[in-house]
Amino acid sequence: MDAKEPFLSRRGLLKALGVASGGLAVSRWLGTVSARAQEPAPEKTIEGFTGPGANPHWNSVGPYVTEPQKAPLLLLTDRPVQIETPRHYFSTAFTANDAFYVRWHLDGIPNNVDLKEWKLQIEGNVAKPQAFSLPELMQKFKAVSIAAVNQCSGNSRSRLQPRVPGGQWGNGAMGNAMWTGVRLRELLDAAGVKAGSVQVQFQGLETGTGPQGMGSSRFMKSLDFTNPVLDESVVAYSMNGEPLPMLNGFPVRLVVPGYFATYWMKCLSWIRVLGAVDENFWMKPAYRIPDTERGNTTADDVKAGKVNMVPIAKMPVRSFLVSPDGTSKIPAGMTVTLRGIAFSGYGRVTRVEISDDGGKNWTAAKLGEDYGAYSFRTWEASWTPKSPGKYTVEVRATDEKGNTQPDEPVWNPGGYLWNRIEKQELVAGIAG
Amino acid sequence: MRMKTKVPMLVLAICAVLMVAGVDVYAELQKGHYQSATLGQSQQAGPTESLPDSQYGGRAYPLYLPELAAGAGKAEVEGYCSMCHSTRYITMQPPLPAAAWEAEVTKMRKSLGATIPDEAAAKIVGYLKTHYTPETRKR
Repeated sequence: MDAKEPFLSRRGLLKALGVASGGLAVSRWLGTVSARAQEPAPEKTIEGFTGPGANPHWNSVGPYVTEPQKAPLLLLTDRPVQIETPRHYFSTAFTANDAFYVRWHLDGIPNNVDLKEWKLQIEGNVAKPQAFSLPELMQKFKAVSIAAVNQCSGNSRSRLQPRVPGGQWGNGAMGNAMWTGVRLRELLDAAGVKAGSVQVQFQGLETGTGPQGMGSSRFMKSLDFTNPVLDESVVAYSMNGEPLPMLNGFPVRLVVPGYFATYWMKCLSWIRVLGAVDENFWMKPAYRIPDTERGNTTADDVKAGKVNMVPIAKMPVRSFLVSPDGTSKIPAGMTVTLRGIAFSGYGRVTRVEISDDGGKNWTAAKLGEDYGAYSFRTWEASWTPKSPGKYTVEVRATDEKGNTQPDEPVWNPGGYLWNRIEKQELVAGIAG
Repeated sequence: MRMKTKVPMLVLAICAVLMVAGVDVYAELQKGHYQSATLGQSQQAGPTESLPDSQYGGRAYPLYLPELAAGAGKAEVEGYCSMCHSTRYITMQPPLPAAAWEAEVTKMRKSLGATIPDEAAAKIVGYLKTHYTPETRKR
């Protein structure tokens, strides 16, 4: 049987019925049948890569892969592992552990940790170096919990024009979890930080095959000792009430609320107090942004040496439409619920607004439950496409510091800090 | 006098070795194990069998080698680039201008210490320019 002639083709059916009756009632009935019997288009798969234009899709374009302890997520790279969370997982304020995106820098990712051996060491410019086992962390210190968004510095890098090298993330290199653990400050106090301390360095179990002393051998990140975020930082052994997946940093990872994930050291095993500024590869030149408004610059200015580059820090305000996602047509006149999330590293999201007329008019969305200043905040809004046609729905958020998402792109050589207003085309069809 | 200084020097030397070894104390952990896999054939993971011991994790990470464009320099790319990362790092990128590929290879050698001889590096850059720029990329 030909695939195009399933059982009885439409033409064949018409002919057969036409011969049999030819009556008006039957042909009207037939009208509905033929509307339904149109040949369905085969499912299209997404292109293998995007560029040199911007990636037009919400997510990156990689195939689904299943890594240990994970649901099928979108592959960027396999060694080391970088996988992205598909859009639909962001319909809730908290991102499930098995759906949480993964980004490693070096291929020596632990497959296995022996908790009899593992200890978190606090060393360097301290009076009493310490080493805590997991039971000691859980029993000797007060457990604290914080909801906080973890977003890769390069989230949405594939939007930049011109494109820049690096992980070609769509919007899914982010997630929100309830992190439970020990205050970083308590651990530092236990070791007694000495005078003259400048930075605190964090190192995990991530190693690479490169030469000793280079960025290809160790991944390390540092924060200034005077940075107030150290008071809010948590060494987390629990993520959404469960142990962390190995790929998200088992047994403990650093949580730096409001800051990009580059500082959220996975498999944290050394906290090292430094007497000098850390200039290892991952602090300089990597993960640096121009000290300009929004971190915006041009390739020409970078080449001319006009740009002062500083370590990346807080996350600018962002918001996303999660559903509808444009895969389904909406009958004109039907009221649908637009749903999504918003967050800012600078404080609580106070307003989310929707526009369907190119940003001329904005309507406030209803905000969901408040889980704290650093969490995803869900939002929803009713929306009715009045007549058939194509609509572009835009969403923008404002945080408590008054920062609002702009409709301007951003460009810098690392591909960081993208927070332009998100837009989604939605199609309304003839309802009947 | 000489003997007196020699002993502390020895102690210092041992300490230094131990400090370096200390950094590597967890290098003994099972780490960086990957296993070849085929795209589009991802089955459900089977049930995990865990013992009530102190070992956590233990599974290899799947490795999906991409099909690189055929041509001169491919062997050098597969040989040298794969020392530190899979070649999916190349196919994942958007088409990049020739200068960007040249800068990437320079970054790997100079900033990250990849030991690629000049001749091989030139072949790698040539290969990337021939197959992965906006003008040349096909797949």
